[in-house]
Amino acid sequence: MASVRLEALTKRYGELEAVRGIDLAIPDGQFVVLVGPSGCGKTSTLRMIAGLEEVSGGRILIGERDVTKLPPKDRDVAMVFQNYALYPHMRVRDNIAFGLRARHLDPTEVRRRISWAADLLGLGELLDRKPGALSGGQQQRVAIGRAIVREPSVFLFDEPLSNLDAKLRVEMRTELLRIQRQLRATVVYVTHDQEEAMALSDIMVVMRDGRIEQQGAPGEIYAHPRSEFVGSFVGSPAMNLLDGIVSGGQLRAGPLVADGVSAVDGPVRVGIRPEEVLLAHAVPVGEPTIAFEATIEVIEALGPRVVISLAPIGGPPMKAVIEARPAAALRETARARFAVRPDALHLFPARIGG
Amino acid sequence: MKRLAAVFVSVWLLVVAFPYLWVLLASLKTPHDLIDPRSFVFAPTLDNWREVAASGIGNSVLSSAIVGLATVGIGVVVAVPGAYAISRWHAGGEATRFGILLSEVLPPAVLVVPLFLLAYNLGLRDTLVAVIASHLTFVLPVMTWFMVGFFDAVPKELEEQALVDGYGRIGAFIRIVLPQVLPGLGAAMIFGFVLSWNDLFYALILAGGKARTLPVAVAGYNTFRGVELGQMAVAILVSVVPVLVASFVVQKRLIRGISRGGLKV
Repeated sequence: MASVRLEALTKRYGELEAVRGIDLAIPDGQFVVLVGPSGCGKTSTLRMIAGLEEVSGGRILIGERDVTKLPPKDRDVAMVFQNYALYPHMRVRDNIAFGLRARHLDPTEVRRRISWAADLLGLGELLDRKPGALSGGQQQRVAIGRAIVREPSVFLFDEPLSNLDAKLRVEMRTELLRIQRQLRATVVYVTHDQEEAMALSDIMVVMRDGRIEQQGAPGEIYAHPRSEFVGSFVGSPAMNLLDGIVSGGQLRAGPLVADGVSAVDGPVRVGIRPEEVLLAHAVPVGEPTIAFEATIEVIEALGPRVVISLAPIGGPPMKAVIEARPAAALRETARARFAVRPDALHLFPARIGG
Repeated sequence: MKRLAAVFVSVWLLVVAFPYLWVLLASLKTPHDLIDPRSFVFAPTLDNWREVAASGIGNSVLSSAIVGLATVGIGVVVAVPGAYAISRWHAGGEATRFGILLSEVLPPAVLVVPLFLLAYNLGLRDTLVAVIASHLTFVLPVMTWFMVGFFDAVPKELEEQALVDGYGRIGAFIRIVLPQVLPGLGAAMIFGFVLSWNDLFYALILAGGKARTLPVAVAGYNTFRGVELGQMAVAILVSVVPVLVASFVVQKRLIRGISRGGLKV
């Protein structure tokens, strides 16, 4: 395994700049997820690391080797594609062995690694089948098996779970983490699904318009988004966003009024995570909160929690996520008092031009 | 419903299969019986078969086979990389995909004069080389176009996976991409062979003498004394049988290849 370093990495397609000089250090053995909306440059970045896209500027280092100009085969990376890319004319066994035979590995060693991967992934009975006879989940396992037997410096995953149904996707997520921990593998993983990114990553890298918006531990990014984009992209349901004004340490945003805000005077954007919107009577007496009144429009039950769409008096619509039990008393169209703790307010610069 | 189907099949048989039956019967008739094309009861004779066999039709079969195989052989070597370049790398721009078939629109009469003059000047008149060259003008574009459709159907990721797994562009192409299009390649080869095998026009003008191919030989039974119908029927059967066999082998793939090629603009 090895570390990966991207230095001022740039990708241009004609006039379009898909990746705009990003710097990223991926320590050895870490699970790094590149996440962002489509067109943010995450896939181009991954493909440049793999060597499948030419680099327009900057450098890629794997370990201490500068691989920027090397062909894919000399980079010692393994990749798993969204559609698995299993070779249809080969049995599972030969699919897994393909990369090893390409490197002229000793046949006994090839057999040893195939049976090791088959054990790890539960592929034993499938080894002599063709990919066409496998289910989506099984194909996925074979693709992972083909990658891990290579024992590469870095694993690259390009949305590997998005072709699976929801239940299987969550199972494979756990499976991937288990394998990564066991192999202490360096992984670069691309997804557009922020929940998947949160669940998998040691380091989460949020990208937008060819730039890195924020990188760090997923919990850290969730708790302290550095921009309105990151705040609204990470987390589901999405963060509530309101326009507000700070003047003399006091913040006014829709129905909310907060004192002692340390921000320069002027317009701001205020973000509040739905789970930070509380029922006013559930907050212990004496704790500082910002309370407001709202009409309950819709209640969506999700089992342990409910998602409530609110129409605050004197403010734009918001969402709240509340434990199911205290929420049982709430009724649609009724009014209720809600509250937000002052430290739950995320302040972002106001959007230029509204 | 079944009765209706039976009617349709009968009509189809009458239209498609009857001519073959008629030719087969003609090949077994004496010149006297041939005078009445409606006669189905006659004393069959193998005279026509004996005479055709003695006339050296074997040479024409051989010529046609050589021309067909050489045309298809060169066709494969050129069409496969060409089609791959058009499909994967958009060589020549998107217009090439169908533009390549434009050469099929040209009436053969347009090309045959320059080809004849070329062959004459190069001293290749009445040689198989000249016929092969002329056949490539219509076999190569069809084979290429055909293969483009098959290459389009191969996911790009398969090839990229092979690149990451340890092969260069050529290794990935030969080991991974090519095996995916083998069924299509087989169909393209048979199709190209049939096109070449059936050509009369170019072969007649470029090589009507000792190097004549089978269709030229068939046409040769139309003599100044009249049509030698019986012997011509034999020659027709000899030339038609390989095509029939090939059609049965190829028909499914042919349809798939054409629909693929047609859908992916």
